[in-house]
Formats: sequence, structure tokens, C-alpha cells
Amino acid sequence: MSMEQAWVLPAIPAALFVIIALFNPLIPRRGDFLAVLGMAAVVALVGVILVDFTSAFHDGHFEPVAGENAFSFNWITIGQDFFTIEFSTYVDPITMVMLVVVSFVALMVLVYSVGYMHGEARYGWYFAALSFFVASMLTLVLSGNLIMLYFAWEGVGVASFLLIGFYWERQSAAEAAKKAFITTRIGDVGLLIGIILLWRATGTFDIQQIIAAAQGGEIGETYLTVAMLFLFAGAAGKSAQFPLHVWLPDAMEGPTPVSALIHAATMVVAGVYLVARFSPVFAEVLVARDVVLYTGLITALMAATMGLVSNDIKRVLAYSTVSQLGFMFVALGVGAVTAAMFHLFTHAFFKSLLFLGSGSVIHATHEQEVEELGGLWRKMPVTAATFGIASLALAGIPIFAGFWSKDEILRALFDGGETGAFVVLLATAVLTAIYTTRLFVLTFAGEPRNRQAYDHAHESPLIMAAPLVILATLATVAGFFAIDEVGRALGFAGGIGELVYLEEPHHFSVDWALAGTATAGAVGGVIIGWIFWRGRAERAIAARDWDPALHQLLVNRYYMDNLYQGIINRAIMGLGGVIAWFDKRVVNETGVDGGAQSIGYMGLRLKFLQTGKIPNYALAMAAGVVGLALLAFSS
Amino acid sequence: MDVLGNELNFQYELLLPEIVLAVTAMLIVGLDAFRTELNLGRRTLPGLAILGLVIAGGLSLTWIDSDTDFARLITIDNFTTFFRLLFIATALVIIVGSWEYIERYVAHNAEFYGLLLLSTAGAIYMAAARDLLTAYLALEVLSFSLYTIVSLARNDQRSGEAALKYVLLGGVASAMLLYGLSLLYGVAGSTQYPEIAAALSAGVEDVELPLLLGLVLIVGGLGFKASAVPFHMYAPDAYEGAPLPVTAYLSATSKAAAMALFLRWFAGPLLPAIDDWQWMIAVVAVATMVLGNLVALQQRNIKRLLAYSSIGQVGFMLMAIVTISEVSASALLLHMGGYLVTNLAVFMAVIAFYNQTQKEDIVEFRGLAQTNPFLALVMTAGLFSLAGMPLLAGFLTKFILFQSVVDGGYTWLVMIALIMSTVSLYYYLQVVKQMYLYEPSGNPARWRLSPTGYLATGVLLVATVVLGIYASPLYTAADRATVALFS
Repeated sequence: MSMEQAWVLPAIPAALFVIIALFNPLIPRRGDFLAVLGMAAVVALVGVILVDFTSAFHDGHFEPVAGENAFSFNWITIGQDFFTIEFSTYVDPITMVMLVVVSFVALMVLVYSVGYMHGEARYGWYFAALSFFVASMLTLVLSGNLIMLYFAWEGVGVASFLLIGFYWERQSAAEAAKKAFITTRIGDVGLLIGIILLWRATGTFDIQQIIAAAQGGEIGETYLTVAMLFLFAGAAGKSAQFPLHVWLPDAMEGPTPVSALIHAATMVVAGVYLVARFSPVFAEVLVARDVVLYTGLITALMAATMGLVSNDIKRVLAYSTVSQLGFMFVALGVGAVTAAMFHLFTHAFFKSLLFLGSGSVIHATHEQEVEELGGLWRKMPVTAATFGIASLALAGIPIFAGFWSKDEILRALFDGGETGAFVVLLATAVLTAIYTTRLFVLTFAGEPRNRQAYDHAHESPLIMAAPLVILATLATVAGFFAIDEVGRALGFAGGIGELVYLEEPHHFSVDWALAGTATAGAVGGVIIGWIFWRGRAERAIAARDWDPALHQLLVNRYYMDNLYQGIINRAIMGLGGVIAWFDKRVVNETGVDGGAQSIGYMGLRLKFLQTGKIPNYALAMAAGVVGLALLAFSS
Repeated sequence: MDVLGNELNFQYELLLPEIVLAVTAMLIVGLDAFRTELNLGRRTLPGLAILGLVIAGGLSLTWIDSDTDFARLITIDNFTTFFRLLFIATALVIIVGSWEYIERYVAHNAEFYGLLLLSTAGAIYMAAARDLLTAYLALEVLSFSLYTIVSLARNDQRSGEAALKYVLLGGVASAMLLYGLSLLYGVAGSTQYPEIAAALSAGVEDVELPLLLGLVLIVGGLGFKASAVPFHMYAPDAYEGAPLPVTAYLSATSKAAAMALFLRWFAGPLLPAIDDWQWMIAVVAVATMVLGNLVALQQRNIKRLLAYSSIGQVGFMLMAIVTISEVSASALLLHMGGYLVTNLAVFMAVIAFYNQTQKEDIVEFRGLAQTNPFLALVMTAGLFSLAGMPLLAGFLTKFILFQSVVDGGYTWLVMIALIMSTVSLYYYLQVVKQMYLYEPSGNPARWRLSPTGYLATGVLLVATVVLGIYASPLYTAADRATVALFS
């Protein structure tokens, strides 16, 4: 198995999707073991490809023998020289990071799901839909051209829609699924426009050729900036960045393992992946890159503040995900691909762990309001310990994974001379530590506030606990991959900086002043959180009365959801309504009052129709012709 | 011999497919007169219609790659063959998918089948004509058949009203078109396409005004057939009042025939005057896609929803006329194929649903995923395909269409189209939501389709998916058809 054959990876879950979706009633256990075993095979194959991948490094540079990391065949040819759509895959370090993250987290989530989803109706469908998601996601990261990428991009969107709406009997789940689908589709239109613009300028959909053309100065700068901004709109939709972030918190209506896989570790980082993939092009158009930087910055800060006040354990994690994705875009906005991909890598582990941990809590207590929880560490020690580790990682406490990658981002900002952005992001990091501690303390520490939920609680079974422990290990050690020696010991050329970089490899070093500041901030945040919420949750809950206006602003998510709903209700539906009203003036209302038809009424109507409606229609047609004629003669 | 003394080609076998259709139509009507005497079974008439269509389709295949004409009135080239097959297949699908509906809810079955076949012949000649008057007559053959079958819904007063509106406004549109054609004749001095093209390329400075007026009227008249804004207003009423299979037929064959005529005229005789009409079509295209999609948001009846959605789709198709070229014409044919398959899939599902429930409001689709998961799947795939979701016909064919328009230099048109197709997702999702997210309002028991219902919807579902993944063969066919168009 070499990099060239990587196309096999998505084929496995795709085949399993078909088998499980069609035949799950006939297969023992509804085919869950097939999905898990298939995913294990994918992980193993990724391991094999990883070996081939490391052998393509020469003198610390990724230099595969020409064509050895790519695969393609013509899929559809349109006209002789119009355009060709290819099926092509391309493996490079960025792809490799994604493959490892996606396959591994997917395996953990599938194993966990066997326990979590036990006894659910549509159990088989759940595993089929997850397999479909994994197939799409693997295709997305392997795509060598933009058309295939777009197909996969929509594929993960559909999978996300299906899985958010998994409990479709709940109205809120159905609404959330629709909201997610439509919001991301708005971004997708941007992506599609970007793809078409790039194709128009270069005549190809091949990503590497487009990058080469852009670097070679074949595309005008303004044109390229516009195209990249459209591309980024797609990325922002998928990765829930301001102002398209509104769908992700609602997406928590889906089953919790789905949130861990799709809405924390994999699908939502597709936007980060896309921008990272095009980072050489973004380096050519700095205006577009600044847009990425400030979008990420606004999102990171805004989402962190919303995470401070939410009472739903999963929603806090969702805000946190939005915020952390903002961190990654900030890194990309200063061209620090290494830092962005590294944070993507570590974040995948600790954030999916946090979600799976919260799933464990929900599974045990059937409660997800933190105000109703508390003291669970006594009942659920494994969950509490692993959740604690993940929280430390998220808060950026040294040794744990998040510390290393967050530090890389802060440092990239500092070195890039973006002092203002650096200060804001550092403050956001402190907020992160605070809301993370709050979440942990309210859930696991102190005294139980809801006796019934507490008494009901129990530690999760092994099949759910094992993935937690494995992910907790990774959430602890994944950050060490920054260190060159660790990378070399694992068989790579060096640490992450030697693998994924924009222009030159990036050697690991520690800037003590910066690391010290960041650590002080994180520890400070944890201490504040701990002191404030430890054992005095009631008083902390009363904190909302300190500044009710601010609290309301945050709880209502800066009123952005209301704003959008207002726009949809008033502007779009309103515009449709005005036009429909105009149509109704001349179109009679048969459809609406279909029930009120009697023969007499009908006759009356026909008379009316003959005197009123038909001439109106004809008048409209005549007006159309006259309008066109006037335009014709005035030009 | 024509007026110039040239030999005319009177090979009647070139017209054989349409002769077969016409003869079958008469046979059906004639046989029905002796219905009781001959003791005809309930499947005889649809069976006969299917037989006629299959024979006509088979005969059409013999003229693949031919390039000849009948008496300079009808061209038999790949473009004609493409549309022959497309229209015959559409009629076939409609009969297979809805003969039970027709039996139950359509008055005068024999006339229905007869007129359906005759109108198919008319639609084919719209695509095949090489003379303005032939084209006009073909259009009227199609229209008059449609006026009648729109009125055939049994026990539905909306039907007669719809037919009345349709026929009166159709008359207005025909008058416009005919006047436009007369002006064109006055300018070019001929009704034959090649001569018109020659006359227009030779220069028309002194007759600019009549030409422009003629073009405006032609766009208006054809726009009516294609239900382009602002000539669309009859469409939602006619769609709603007509029996469902006729609605499907209106949205498929009638529209495709208008687009075929658009292509024949604007890529042929009118191409030299492109500067005069390009922007006209662009304006109509924008108005059509914007109004169609926005008003669709407000609809509560599935037929009206599909009427407005198909108006929106026509807006997309007209973009390819704006940037007319071999590539965009091929893309348009490909997209039309994808649209017909998808749209028919949705309609056949709606018909099967109506057969079971006699309901046609969108809210009545609630819980369909529980009572008939297969039908819900067909509807969902069809609606998602109309909205342009990847892996389904609607995305790939629409994408190639948009690409060709961008290639023609009209990126701004494509931007509007992309935004409108996002809007369309909203109203298509409303239907999907009813099917999947709510409990059935009536009896929650599962029900099954008839075997032919399964056949029609199943084939269309497969075609929707296959076209979305592998469109090359259809594109190749479209490409060969348009080569004939521009030669």
C-alpha cells in the first residue's frame, strides 16, 4: 500500500455504507461490528501509507518520486478542450495529518458508539450514516482536484444533516439539521463561485496546478483576491466562523458521538484544511489572508464569551469548538500553516474526548444542564479523570497537548508582528481556561445539585471508557510531536514543523517568555474558574444578576440568530411574499381556497375571470413585450 | 421542385416516427369508439400508446448521424434525433407512471392518449423544423393538444378554468409570435432558416427597427411556451388545474420543446443578430430565475411549488441561450436531460402519492417516510437533485451548464443563478421536512405502489443517480446533436 493507492481508504467505508444501509436488518447486531472493523482496517492502512510517506522524505523535505503520491483517471470529459473532471487523489503532509486524525478519531467514536447508541431505534442506520460520513471525509482530504473536493464537501454536509437530525422526532433536532444544512450551503455557494473563478483563470480544477499558476503570477491579484475570498466563504461556512457560526451550537441536537466526530474533530476542520491547502495562494494575496486572520480572531473571542454563560454541557463545548477553530484560522491568517495544522491535530483528540466525556455524563444522568449536575467525580471517576485531562489540554496547561499547539499560534502571531491580534488571542486563551474550568467544576466537582440525576449516575461500560482512556493518553502526549527528537524517534524527519510548513521547515524551540506568559494566563484562568465556581455554584449562577444586560447579550449569542431569523422571515420571505402578492393580483387564488368551490360560485368566478383575470395576464405579457421593446429601442 | 427550381427531397420515410405516432393516436381514438363492442381491457389503450411510442422511438434510431431534410421543411439531423428520443421517452415514462391515475381521474382516456401522442409529434417538429411556418404549425399542434388535455381532469372545476386561461393566453402568445415571425420574414425575405441566416449576416442596417420588434415578439411568444417571466402567469394556474400527468407533461415536453426551438432559432437563423437579442434573453433569464425561485417559497400546493420551481429552472436554461455556443448548447441539452429525468421522478412520485391519498398539498406529505419510505426516497432524491446537490443529476448537469455560461463571459449571471439555487434548497427542504420529520396525519399503515409505479419511479431514481455520477454518454449524445445545430 503506497500513497498512490490511498483511494482505497474511502472505498472501504463507502462499501460499508451501502451494505449496512441496505441490509442491516439481516446482519447480526445490525452491522455495527462491520463498521468498526472496517474503520480499524482503514486505520491500519493509514499506518501502512504512513510508512511509505516517511520514506518520501529526503534531507528533511517531502520529495516523492514524481507522481508517486498522486493518482488520477479521467472521469468526465466535456467537449474536446472545454474541461475534464478527474477522479484524482493527492497525498502530502497536510493530507497525512488529516488522514491520521480522521481515521483514528472515527475509530474511537465508532467503538464508543457501540455502547452509547445501544438499544436506539435506527441503530443500523446510525452506523451506515457514520460510514457515509467517513467515506466523504476521507475523499475530501484526499481530493486532488476541486470538483471531487466539492462533491465530498457536500457529502459531509449531507451526512452532518442526516446525523444532526438523527432524533428527528424532536422538532428542535429537525430544525437544527435544516439550519446547519442551509447555513453551510450559503458558504458552499461561495466555495463553488471560488472554484468557478479559479477554473476560469487557469482552465483546470487540479489543486496543485492552480497553486502553481497562482504562484507563477498567472492570475491578476485583484481577481485572485476575490476568488480566495469566495473560497474562504466556503471554509467559514463549514468551519462555523463568524458570521456563519450560528449553526454549530444548534448542531448539538445530534447524538453526542456524532458531535465528537463531525462537529469537533473532523468535518468542521474541513474549512481549516481547505485554507491550509491553499496557503501558498493566500500568501500571494495578503488582503485575503488578513480577512482570514480577523475573521478567526473575532470568532475566537466571541465564541469564548458565549461559552462562559451557556448552561448546556454540549453547547459550551460547541462554543469552544467554534472558538478553537478561530484560533486555527488566526494561525492561517499569518501564514503559520504549521501551527494551524498542529492545533487541528491536538484539538481533534482533546475535543473529541471532551465530547465523548460529556456523552458519558449524558448517558449516565440523562441530563445535560450543568446547573443540574455536580459532584459526578465520585460516581464516574474514569470519565471525570479523562474529562479533566482534556480540560487541561484545552485550557493550555503545560505538558498537555493544547498547550503546545496554542503556544505555536501565539508565537506565530508575535513573530508575525501582529501584536494587537496577539493580545486579543491571549485574552481569549485566558477566557478559554476560565470557561473550561467552569464546565469541569460545575459538572464533576462540588455537591450534586440534582439528586435524582446523581443517584441515577454510574460509570460508563468498558466499550465507552476504553476510547476515553486512549484519547486521554493522546490528549496528554500529542503535543510532544512538536519536538524534533520525538518526531525522529517515531520515524519522521522531525517534529510537526519539519512535516507541515509553507516555505521552510520550522524547527522547534521554546520562547520562554512567551510560553511563560501563556502559561501564567492559562493557570490564572483555571484558578479564577476554580475559586469562583468551586462549591459555590449557586452564587456563581446568581452572577448573571451582576450585569443582566451583558448576560442576556451573551446568552442570546449577540442576537445574531435572531437577526438571521428576522432577515429570513422579513426580508426573504417578505420579498417572496411581495412578488407572490403581485402574482396574486393577476393570478387568481385557486390554490388557496380550493375547498370553497360550488357550481354557483364557480360560475361567478368564471364570469369574474373572463372580465378580470385573463386581460390582466395578457396585459402583463404585453407589458413584458413593451418593456423589452422600450429597452431595445433605447439602446 | 421549389420556386428556385431545385429538386426537393420527398423521402416520406424520414417522417415515419411521427406518422407512426399520428396513426397510433387515431387508432386509439377509433378503437375507443367501439370500446364495448370490442370488449377492450383497461390496459389496451395505454398499451397501444406505449407500443406506438416504442416503435416510433426504434425508428428514430435509424437516422442517427443522418443529415438531410424533408422538402426543406423538416431537418433530420442529430439534433432532431436527440429530441425525438427525448420526447418519446418522456411520453413513455408519463404513460407507464400514470396510466392508473389517468384511468381514475382523467375524463376521455382515449382522447387523452391520442392527444398526448399528437402533441409529442408536434414537439418533435418544433425541434426539427427548418422553416418558420413549419415551426409555427408544429407549435400550434403541441399547443392545441395541450389546451384540450389540460381540461380533462375529472371532478375538478379548476381544470376547465385552467384550460380556458391557457387557451386564451396561448392565443395571445401565438399572435405575438406570428407577428414577430412576419416581421422577421419581412426583414429576411424568406421563411427558410439558412436563407434568414444569410440575409441577417449580409447586414440589416436599414431594417433594424422591424428586426428588433420582431425579435422582441419572438422572445415573448416563445417565452410563453417556456413559461419565462413575465410571460409565465398562466403556468401556475394551468399546472394546478391540469390532471397531474398533464402537469408533468407541461413541465417536461412543453418546456423542452420551447427550449429546442430557442436553440434552433438562436443558434441558427438568428445567430447573426446576436447583439440585438443577447441582452434581451439575459434580462428574461434573470427575471425568470429570481421570480420563479422567490415565489416558490410561498407555495403550499405541490403542483404550484413545482410550477414555480420549473419556472426557476427555465431561467437557468435560458442562460445557455445568452452565451450560445457549441459548448453551452451541449451543456443545455445535457442539463435538459438531467432536468427531465429529475422532474419526472418527482412528478411520478407525486402521482403515485395522489393515487393513494388524493391529496396534493405539501403538508399532506407529512410522514411519507413512514408510510412509504421508497416513495419518500424518490421524492427526496428528486428534490435534492433539482436543488443541485452533488451525486445527483441536478448538480453535475447544472454545474456543466453554469461552467459553459462562465466560459461565455457571463459570470454575473451565474452568480445570480447560484444564489437562486441556494434559495431553492429552502423550499425543496420544506417538502423533505414534511416527509421525514412529522408523523403521518392519517392512517400510519404502510402502503405499496403499483408495479408500474415502482417501475417508473425506480428507473427515474436510478437515472437521477447515474446522471449525477456519470454523465459522459449523455453529454456525448448532446454534443453530437449540437454539432448539427451549428453546421
